[in-house]
Amino acid sequence: MNDEPYAGRVRTLFAALDHAAAQAGEPSGAASVYCSSQGVRLRLNAVVANGVLKTLSFRAYGCPHVLAACEWLCWRLEGQPVSALDELRPADLIQALSVPVAKTGRILVVEDAIRLLARKIAGTAATRTGSIKE
Amino acid sequence: MSDGGIYLDYAATTPVDPRVVEAMQSCLGEAGCFANPSALHAAGRASKKVVQRAAEALARLINGDPRRLFWTSGATEANNLAIQGALRAREHRGRHLITMPTEHKAVTDVARALEKQGWRVTWLQPEPDGLLPIKRLDAAIGDETQLVSIMFTNNETGVVQDMAAIARLCRQRGVLLHVDAAQALGKLAIDVTALDIDLMSMTAHKLYGPQGIGALYVARRGELSVEPLFFGGAQQGRLRPGTLPVHLIAGFGRAAAIARESLRDDYTRLRMLNNRLWRGIESLPGVVRNGEANASYPGILNVSAAGLNGESLLLALEPLCVSSGSACNSQSGESSAVLRSMGRSDELAESAVRFSFGRPTSERDVDVAAARYRETVLRLRALLPCRDG
Repeated sequence: MNDEPYAGRVRTLFAALDHAAAQAGEPSGAASVYCSSQGVRLRLNAVVANGVLKTLSFRAYGCPHVLAACEWLCWRLEGQPVSALDELRPADLIQALSVPVAKTGRILVVEDAIRLLARKIAGTAATRTGSIKE
Repeated sequence: MSDGGIYLDYAATTPVDPRVVEAMQSCLGEAGCFANPSALHAAGRASKKVVQRAAEALARLINGDPRRLFWTSGATEANNLAIQGALRAREHRGRHLITMPTEHKAVTDVARALEKQGWRVTWLQPEPDGLLPIKRLDAAIGDETQLVSIMFTNNETGVVQDMAAIARLCRQRGVLLHVDAAQALGKLAIDVTALDIDLMSMTAHKLYGPQGIGALYVARRGELSVEPLFFGGAQQGRLRPGTLPVHLIAGFGRAAAIARESLRDDYTRLRMLNNRLWRGIESLPGVVRNGEANASYPGILNVSAAGLNGESLLLALEPLCVSSGSACNSQSGESSAVLRSMGRSDELAESAVRFSFGRPTSERDVDVAAARYRETVLRLRALLPCRDG
């Protein structure tokens, strides 16, 4: 039985949140979405050039798993085509960070932000659990 | 600490004092006082003497009668025995218990279990400073009330109740008083005789004694009887049967004796450390102290930082070993019931951190903790998102 509440990867990512955005609100020149649900508040930003996610950044309020998930997805998606946003599955995040079952709902909020960001970039706005800051 | 961290969680448990280890070791092994203290032979009598000496040391610490101490596995068992045992013995008189939502779970969970069994429980709310107004208690006591259970020192905030006034009122109104003194024993001067406390729960591991041993003090009073929860022997007047763990009791006794000698010096030093840490962090915007400073045990400093997630705060504070007032690891994400009962918002209760100091804590430890807390609060605040652009 493993009583360690955080996987080593969570600790590493949490300790160095390199993709934390410099500003709390929507940065200029970036697509930006805001999600709030399940005790998580999250802003996800992307600068897109030529169909590629040039830079990704985030601001978040949440538990270490949420912050680590944000950092992980920014690291994973940066430099990828925009279509990679739709390809990322919550199971990828949950598995990569060994997220406990009790916290999977919070990871779905992160997933919502990714989907919203994809739609924002594609020029369509829609909401599921959150809202889009236009 | 062995892993290089700074331990500031002495309210959770304390390391065993080397002098206590020595006392315990003298009861282990073939050459030690290992025999069953109930046995009539010489070895058994030697063990019995060790147990008696420990009881005398603990009784001296609380100015009580050593013959009225009953060894338990810890404060949780002592609380269960006191509340359930006393109420069972008085069931025919009435079925009403008074306690507070700020009590330790070892009391609140017992009260909730009794509620399910048909007992009426009155949950008295504290004031925002954590203290119980005596008038509120007075108004709650009725003809059916059998027991009031109020802790001496709160385990999360360090708030110390006015036990003299509470005990006086209970005596005047003819109801029993149980006091959970797990956080107060050996840290504050407790005189069970002068205070006129009926039942008091104690544990060794909060005062540099071993884990796994506690005691219940049951005052000698005609109207007071406690029914046992366990059955299986004649030990301890059948109130708490089972072979006594001599080495643990010896350790508890030694820890009590040391605490009695150092109580005053410990208190003065802890006050200095508490003030030093608070001075180091109080200027941070949105940081508040939980619990009235002038009515709190100085070994505990509980603070909240508005807007921060308690679980992230706790992890980011590592290598500091501190406790959160929040149960945010749970699915419910529910924050401290103690702080919410004191009127703290969910936001503040969620971000609560309990620093607790002990004899080994140095001024440098506290300075490092203050710097780490400041840096962490600022770092996590810099991550907070804004809904509006």
